[in-house]
Amino acid sequence: MTLYVQSIVSGILVGGVYAVMSLGMSLSWGVLKVINLVHFAFILFSGYVTYELSTTYELDPFVAILVVVPVFFLAGMALQWAFEKTRINEFESLLVTFALLLIFESIARTIWSADFRQIPAEQNPYVSDAWWIGDIALQTPRLAGFVVAVLVTLLTMFLLDRTYFGKAVRALAEDREMAVAFGIDSSRVSILLAGMAASFAALAGVFIAMSHALTPGLAVEWFAIVFPVVILGGLGSTKGSLAAGIIIGVVAAVATVAAGPSMAPLITFVILILTLLFRPQGLFTRGAA
Amino acid sequence: MGRIRERRRTSWGLVLVLALVIAACSGGDDGADEPATTTTAAPATTAGGSEDTTTTTEATAEPSGDPIVIGSTLSLTGGLAPTAAIHKVAGDLFVERLNENGGLLGRPVEWLVLDDESTPDRAAALYERLITEDGVDLIIGPYGTGNITAAMQVAERYGYVFPQHTGSLTYAFSYECQFPAWPTGRNPNLTNPNLVYDSLDSSGVDVSSVAFVVSQFPGTMFIAYGQPDTDEGGAVKIAEDRGYDVVLDINYPLGTTDWAPIAAQVRDADPDFLFMGAIGVDGPNLIAAMDALGYRPPNMFFQWPAPGPLLGANADGALSVTAFEPHAPFTDNPTDAAIAEAFSAAATEAGLPYPAFETQASASWAAWQILVAGVEGAGSLDNGEMCDYLVNNQIETVFGEVDFGTESNNYYGDISYVKQIQDGDWFVVYPTDKAAPGRSIVVNPGE
Repeated sequence: MTLYVQSIVSGILVGGVYAVMSLGMSLSWGVLKVINLVHFAFILFSGYVTYELSTTYELDPFVAILVVVPVFFLAGMALQWAFEKTRINEFESLLVTFALLLIFESIARTIWSADFRQIPAEQNPYVSDAWWIGDIALQTPRLAGFVVAVLVTLLTMFLLDRTYFGKAVRALAEDREMAVAFGIDSSRVSILLAGMAASFAALAGVFIAMSHALTPGLAVEWFAIVFPVVILGGLGSTKGSLAAGIIIGVVAAVATVAAGPSMAPLITFVILILTLLFRPQGLFTRGAA
Repeated sequence: MGRIRERRRTSWGLVLVLALVIAACSGGDDGADEPATTTTAAPATTAGGSEDTTTTTEATAEPSGDPIVIGSTLSLTGGLAPTAAIHKVAGDLFVERLNENGGLLGRPVEWLVLDDESTPDRAAALYERLITEDGVDLIIGPYGTGNITAAMQVAERYGYVFPQHTGSLTYAFSYECQFPAWPTGRNPNLTNPNLVYDSLDSSGVDVSSVAFVVSQFPGTMFIAYGQPDTDEGGAVKIAEDRGYDVVLDINYPLGTTDWAPIAAQVRDADPDFLFMGAIGVDGPNLIAAMDALGYRPPNMFFQWPAPGPLLGANADGALSVTAFEPHAPFTDNPTDAAIAEAFSAAATEAGLPYPAFETQASASWAAWQILVAGVEGAGSLDNGEMCDYLVNNQIETVFGEVDFGTESNNYYGDISYVKQIQDGDWFVVYPTDKAAPGRSIVVNPGE
């Protein structure tokens, strides 16, 4: 029994990390109509920056958040500015950002080599640290990731629901041309939103670096996590990303224990296919995305 | 308006093409690699290190004539890239030293290496291209069992000698001109587990229960369970036969990212000994997940881990297997010591975080030595004559003299040793005649 409870708890917590990884992509795709594969490069580079700050400068990995979030916020804005200038459409964004992802992956390989980079345990005590509820462990990096996921989700929901910026974002998502006709500076709003999305990716990178070894090829492996979460949660849905991350995390964890680790990705993709077939707008959005 | 849109499309197309070109170039797809540099000042050793040469520096005739082109692929990108990076450094260094020492048959050597992107079908297609379009003189194998298996079929079709570093599906490689450097012998599913269990027994400490966590990577599955459709078994069956209580046996797919549920299962099973059929960073990832659950088995073994990250995981006591480590007695031979030192310097310069000349690098080196021995033995680039020479002669490698036996798919025998992390570094600890000075295996009693 403890085994299953532990797995479910671990699944919920890792689902938070999945949500942080996916939220920016969901907003970018759902609102900006940019399928931004550079998002994965942002996660990767944020992870490497965290690694460098921890190993070279011996900073606490959590301190990296103070560096990577503003840096990648600016990077995300710069990228979106370029997209705005070139009026890229959804399909072109997929092609162009895929090419950019390859470039970033190559840059990472040039700087850090293709070999694994992992923050040594001395610089990263959190990797093996946990909080306990009875026999159930709440692994520190996952717990922190989950807490951040909840905070980010609440903050984003507040921004989107309660502020003028949020109204503008929702208006753009609904009908860009009409929103512009009503005086919304679509370019400025889009650039700010892209900065937010990139900073979420940066947050995810910190938690990835704290719990995994890094290698440039990882960026592509994350497709299998992020896209199911984004589609299951619904494009542009903030709370949908969190809920979908948790669902994917729990389902994979329970499948691992009940049916073996090789069943986890299979069941995840079955859920993805069923969602696409029967509820293509995602589980947490109304109507077509 | 339409023209502007068209121009924009074209611009994006150009950006895309440029991006792909830049990515391909900086990704290390060295199809256009420059030939290795040639110098007249010979270093203290021969390129292959196959003989213990003098330590004085002598002038060596500069190679001349058309370069001999050796073609291969490596996984410069994709899932196998972290380990393939080691083979790239080893190959570059070997070719550089070969040219510094007069080249091959008096001619300079050029290594044409393409990126197979860690996919076997691409590896096969690229070997086809290397042979039929690029017209390479010789080939050497890629990294990774899947890629090796795919490329070997191409080599066999065209009759090329095929030295390969790390192919671990030993039973499947029946091509008579494939020459493995991988030092596990034909039956690593039997010899490797017995070596590990013998090492545990040698400590005199009682270890009674074993948990198996095995990657679905072909080589690790073979060692854990043996050849499919036979009843010879592997590590699991041998453990049962030797009286261990097998308390857990699970497989996990490549690319597993969430280790917590697997760690929870290991904790639930609470074995005296964890046998992890691991590759890459699976080991450190599982250790971190187990640590977060407040649990570690008293003893752990990892099949083919990335050695650097495992050191960084505070995994003192972890066991693995190796065929070469950069310490005595392996470095008693000054030639091998010089190779290990040179590789370490080159790997550091290439930015590899763990630059030690150990199993992967030494297997890579040995494969190059086999290729060179074939050419020098045959006295020509005739692949048939090279194959005959390699089959019928003992070949000197960094592992010592090896003798390919056609009855065992040319696998020359298992020369694996057990190594252990002690005091933050890897040391061979078993058998005692190969153990690092002052080191012996440390086994913890079960709880």
